[in-house]
Amino acid sequence: MAVTIPGSEIFAYKGNTGEAVHAKASKYLNLHTVSATGADQVDPLTFEVIRHRLWMATEEMGDAIKRMSGSIVVTDANDFNFALMDEVGDLVQIGPYNAGLAIALDRAVKWTLENRADNPGIEEGDMFLCNDPWVGGGMHQNDVAVYGPLFWEGKLFGWTSASSHQLDLGGVAPGSWTPRARNVFWESLPTPPVKIVRGYRLQRDVEDVYLRRSRIPRLVALDLRAQIGANNFAHEQLKTLIRKYGPDMVKAVMKRMLDDTESRVRAKLRAIPDGNWHAVSYQEEAREGDRGLYKIVLNLIKKDDHLTFDFRGTDPQVEGLINCTHSTLHAGILWSTLPALCGDIPWAAGGLLRCFDIISEEGTLNNCTFPAGISKASVASGWTTANAVQECLSKMMIAHPEHKKSAMSVCTGTWSLAVLSGIDQYQKPFVTMLMDPMAGGMGARTDGDGVDTGGLPGIVMGRAPDVEMVEFMNPLLYLWRREEADSGGPGKFRGGMSASMCIVPHNTETPMSLVISGSGKAVNMNVGLHGGYPGNSQVDITLRDSNLPELIRRGIIPASLDEISGQREIQPSEKESYLNPTDVHYLYWQGAGGYGDPILRDPAMVRRDLIELRISTEAAHAIYGVVLDPKFEVDHKRTGERRAKIRADRKAKARQVPAEVVKSVKSAPGEHDVQWNENMVESDADGRRILKCNHCGHAICTRGENYLEHLAMIEGAPREAGPQIFAEPWSYIDTKVVFRQFCCPGCHTAFLTQVVPENFTTRYDLDSAA
Amino acid sequence: MQFILGIDIGGTFTDAFATDEQARVVSAKAPSTPDDYARGVIDAIDELATRLQLSTADLLRNTSYICHGTTASLNSLVTGTAAKVGFMTTCGHGDSIVIMNGEGRYAGLGPEQIQDFTRTNKPPPLVRKRLVKEIDERIDYKGAEILPLNEEVTRSAVKELIDEGVAAIAVSLLWSFRNPSHENRIRDLIHEIAPEMYVSLSSEVCPRIREYPRSVTTIMNGQVGPALRHYLRSLEAELKQRSFGGVLLIMQGSGGTISAETAPRQAISTIGSVLVGGVVGAVNLGESLDHKNIISTDMGGTTFLVGLVVDGKPVTANTTVINQYTLNLPMVRVAAIGSGGGAIAWIDQGGNLKVGPRSAGAAPGPVCYDAGGTEPTITDADLVLGILNPDFFLGGRKKLRRDLSEKAIREKIAGPLKMSVEDAAATIYSIANAQASDLVRKSVVSAGYDPRDFALYSFGGAGPVHCAGYSADLGVATVVVPLGSTAAAFSAFGLAASNVGLAAEVSRPQNFPISAEVVNATFDELETRLRADLDAQRIPFSRVTMAREIDIRYTLQLAEVSTPVKAGKLSESDVHGITEGFEELYTKLYGKGTGYREAGIQFITYRVFAVGYLPFKPTLPELPKAKNSLKSAIKGTRRAFLDVVAGWNETSVYDYEKLAFGHELEGPAIVEAPTTTVAIPPRAGATVDRLGNLVIHFG
Repeated sequence: MAVTIPGSEIFAYKGNTGEAVHAKASKYLNLHTVSATGADQVDPLTFEVIRHRLWMATEEMGDAIKRMSGSIVVTDANDFNFALMDEVGDLVQIGPYNAGLAIALDRAVKWTLENRADNPGIEEGDMFLCNDPWVGGGMHQNDVAVYGPLFWEGKLFGWTSASSHQLDLGGVAPGSWTPRARNVFWESLPTPPVKIVRGYRLQRDVEDVYLRRSRIPRLVALDLRAQIGANNFAHEQLKTLIRKYGPDMVKAVMKRMLDDTESRVRAKLRAIPDGNWHAVSYQEEAREGDRGLYKIVLNLIKKDDHLTFDFRGTDPQVEGLINCTHSTLHAGILWSTLPALCGDIPWAAGGLLRCFDIISEEGTLNNCTFPAGISKASVASGWTTANAVQECLSKMMIAHPEHKKSAMSVCTGTWSLAVLSGIDQYQKPFVTMLMDPMAGGMGARTDGDGVDTGGLPGIVMGRAPDVEMVEFMNPLLYLWRREEADSGGPGKFRGGMSASMCIVPHNTETPMSLVISGSGKAVNMNVGLHGGYPGNSQVDITLRDSNLPELIRRGIIPASLDEISGQREIQPSEKESYLNPTDVHYLYWQGAGGYGDPILRDPAMVRRDLIELRISTEAAHAIYGVVLDPKFEVDHKRTGERRAKIRADRKAKARQVPAEVVKSVKSAPGEHDVQWNENMVESDADGRRILKCNHCGHAICTRGENYLEHLAMIEGAPREAGPQIFAEPWSYIDTKVVFRQFCCPGCHTAFLTQVVPENFTTRYDLDSAA
Repeated sequence: MQFILGIDIGGTFTDAFATDEQARVVSAKAPSTPDDYARGVIDAIDELATRLQLSTADLLRNTSYICHGTTASLNSLVTGTAAKVGFMTTCGHGDSIVIMNGEGRYAGLGPEQIQDFTRTNKPPPLVRKRLVKEIDERIDYKGAEILPLNEEVTRSAVKELIDEGVAAIAVSLLWSFRNPSHENRIRDLIHEIAPEMYVSLSSEVCPRIREYPRSVTTIMNGQVGPALRHYLRSLEAELKQRSFGGVLLIMQGSGGTISAETAPRQAISTIGSVLVGGVVGAVNLGESLDHKNIISTDMGGTTFLVGLVVDGKPVTANTTVINQYTLNLPMVRVAAIGSGGGAIAWIDQGGNLKVGPRSAGAAPGPVCYDAGGTEPTITDADLVLGILNPDFFLGGRKKLRRDLSEKAIREKIAGPLKMSVEDAAATIYSIANAQASDLVRKSVVSAGYDPRDFALYSFGGAGPVHCAGYSADLGVATVVVPLGSTAAAFSAFGLAASNVGLAAEVSRPQNFPISAEVVNATFDELETRLRADLDAQRIPFSRVTMAREIDIRYTLQLAEVSTPVKAGKLSESDVHGITEGFEELYTKLYGKGTGYREAGIQFITYRVFAVGYLPFKPTLPELPKAKNSLKSAIKGTRRAFLDVVAGWNETSVYDYEKLAFGHELEGPAIVEAPTTTVAIPPRAGATVDRLGNLVIHFG
């Protein structure tokens, strides 16, 4: 059981309402407020004019920080964000970069108002810095928030904030994530809110306290200036606006933006049928040498216009680096919720927050207590939380004929981290994180394939750097960076492909340090939806003492690992390793899950994927059941036969299921039918509500029953899920992993396709509670 | 007698403008002919000749220069009708153009689209996988050869591409800007097999670091090059046949022209010239009006475009996005929002009134066009507000139906929001003005300037209707509506008056300190190349200027700041001075205290711009001082809404044709010109200047 360090309680913050924050802070501060009626009375013209200007101000803030930052993570990968908040820290507008970096900012500001208003005070010209994920502001210690109050005529009017990922803030390993970490004391020191700018002046002493921990203090200092500059920039814009329209009017518009987002989210939720949806997302290896498998469990309850995210059943926090705090749990929820639910609703996140609550037990993976290790939180338990939320929300949205277009299967399920450090080609020390995995696969949709190498779910504008920029900055040479066939999860609509890269040290004599961290190697996190298959397994391989120099001397540049000889090291999920000058390192990150049974995919699309090298002939035959003739055209007859064979094979392998609940099912759509998803329709039959197959009409069970028990279930080896599942789970974990598929007992169309641990209990959606 | 012609091929019309040494000016218009744009060009020239009472042969025989801008290249890229191109690149990196650094999913999209994350997509691939050939070769960051070019692999790849029927081959290898030898050799090998093949080399098209945009630029150059080469050859032949003996010039996206003879090699530089016309027009009119800093605003049917002129030169950006692909291309920086006259007013799910970015476009167009449109637009609001005259839109060429506009605004906006139709129209008008104003302010401020140092020019059909509204709060020094002899073909006028502009650049990424020797050698190399390029234009320039810059950044930053560098041989202290200039600019752009020299400084890309000045410039005819009274120009009055504060007023309506130099109008007033309508709100006024422009002032 988790032990908490006495004295750390004050930082274990879970956010308070605006009213509560106001009550505490107003003892020491004059806060600018407007009445609720004021917000209702803004005329349409003024609302739109001021809203547009506020948007522009936040957008400009993003431009500014991006141009000024010195970190490749910020500038080439867009791993940053900024936000505008009201006087009590409610998020009025966040930028479209890394949503996770902006979402917890409200907590940092609220905590600051509650705990710093008295001492050292919050005054005009001040800015605070925070990288304590228990307080808020970021997902792990590398995410640093710099935020400042905006005062108008002596009253605190609102806040702006700029946060970005810093490459190194100390700790025992370069990059500040150490796979060896057992708790937070191995990692970068969390800094609770400190006043870094006082009266418009950067505090040298505080800055030094901040920079002293880093292996690259100069770059961190440049970024700090970018963050301060972006806040200054936004304050100037806001002041111009307030000068023209008056503080009360601008504030009234800000309040109405929150109300507007809230009412639109609620309207959307009301239109969707009520129900429960479940998801489980796995991570393996809590730290170097560990062979465990850890789950985050979600039960999403949608009732009327409200959501409950119930995480009970999630594993306890572990000795390692994969835990996350409650703030990061909160960020993980919004990471998926904003894109899925708010694609067409302004990102006044404060309004969205009013539409849901969270049930989570303290001391669990995604609600850990101090001093649990959290350096990997953003892409470990934070991201895993987001995966589960993505899966549940998508299943919920698919139950609505209109909103289902915003649904998406789980994208790249984790980050593939490689942090390199050593001496660069200019004889200077360097630390870098490879940002190429930013080009992850995006989830399949209900009406089309996922975007190939299109990005990562919560990082709306993520970006991979150009190879030349990486080679200019670092002593590396890329043998390749390419999309990998079959990496997108098969489905009626295919998940987006990921890519692989292969690097060798170049122009350096000394070995470099290599920190590897990334899950999804044994159990797939990039799950499919409604019969869609998971995307590829993640893998990192190092070849020691390779013959690459000799190959190059012979005029050969290898195009695959098989062409290079060397001692092959399959890297575990968590490892502090190294690269010698003659070593070769290969990363293959995750594509996304598919949507719907692949044997329902249009054969013409399968053919096109083959031509463009997006899938292999093996997958086309075994998984999609498509046969091409010698002229490379679809052979419709043989394709039909092949697909019938796949169904027959499924039938032969499946366990016995109970008989159909009713014999006569009307095939015509009934008035009260509910189309829950691609595969299942709820309908009237014999005076009761039943669930039937959307493809063949087979009556599965009565609504309210566990429909999974009435589906044909197949279990087999993971590789049955297709060539993208190449993992040997025993290389990473002790748990046995299986392929599991639930099919209609009538037509054997796949309803659910999984790669999960053997002891996994699949929960049924719609009715089952936690 | 010597003429200069400017010809602007737009999507619908080809505009032409002619001027001679006596400041005689005429303009003409002919329908564009997308199947063969040359025909529309000849038609427009015929029309010019008719207006000058000359035969086409006589006009062309006496024409020194024809400068011409075309949407053809851009259209072929956007509509996917470009040439079939084969792509050759370094082994292991053929997917760079489909991975698109991941940014291709959202690059160039508006914020509403970007936020709708799950609905975003990449564009179709530029080149199909079958036409992408990976070649065994490798150069490293220093330009050192890691792996020699495998000529055997190259030859068979070329043969395969030829068998596939490609019209051009684009070659973009890693680090080719540091060492172009492999690319050059590949071109030789291609030409050994196919001497006529159009070859596009990245080391020539854009020798700049970052392989993804460099490859895209090189491929797109190959896609538009063969068609441009073909088109210009046939146009030149047609013109020659009609006795033209002068120089045919093509406008580039950078705002300078290039000779038709050399244009196809750098075909990609000619895209975007359609956006540039207005800005270049502003530069040239600015010379006559003595404005050096200008905000050029163009409000047409679908978009509102903003460009900047600083110190008499268009402000350019070094990258641009076409179809979600990022290109390395110096181009006039133009910001756009979907806030043209056809932008649709609508109510979002939250019950808030929005204007744009969706547009009714030219078809069906605003509801008042009575061409099937049902959604109210900005133009419908302008009509309901009494600013537009239903019987004198575009000089009476199009009748507008006010009743339809009212009905649409009532049903779609006023009813749901429980407002009167007039209030709803006023709100649409004001929101459109505020959005335009925000874009202008952002464009100026984010470029590091202050709007108070600028004159604002407003053109395009809908610009003058709104310019007083969107300029009032900016604090600009003056607002000019170009209405004189240039009004009918403002872009074509801009083209006619443009000089030749060429650029050369190369990336030499290096950490500071960098020796003067390296900097001097790099600039020498670029300037030598530019002088040869200028000679190849075969034009007797009156003078030539060169301007140098280096893209500099603090270590690791993404965005470099283009920092001017003085001419001539540089000393070590001059080079040091460059970094000081960089830091000054940086501070100006991002604020005091944001720089941090200790992080290190890097010089990335060196660039030289050359301008070859044409021997003569058109002068615009001056109007005589007004003899008639201002009153005699009044056509009548009508009730109109020009400003939120003043509301509705009985407003004098002036006939532009009867206004003359020196007339001073007081707001509220409306001026009806054949091409546009100018709104002058209460508390503002306007004067007619000596060239016939309306100059609006506030307070």
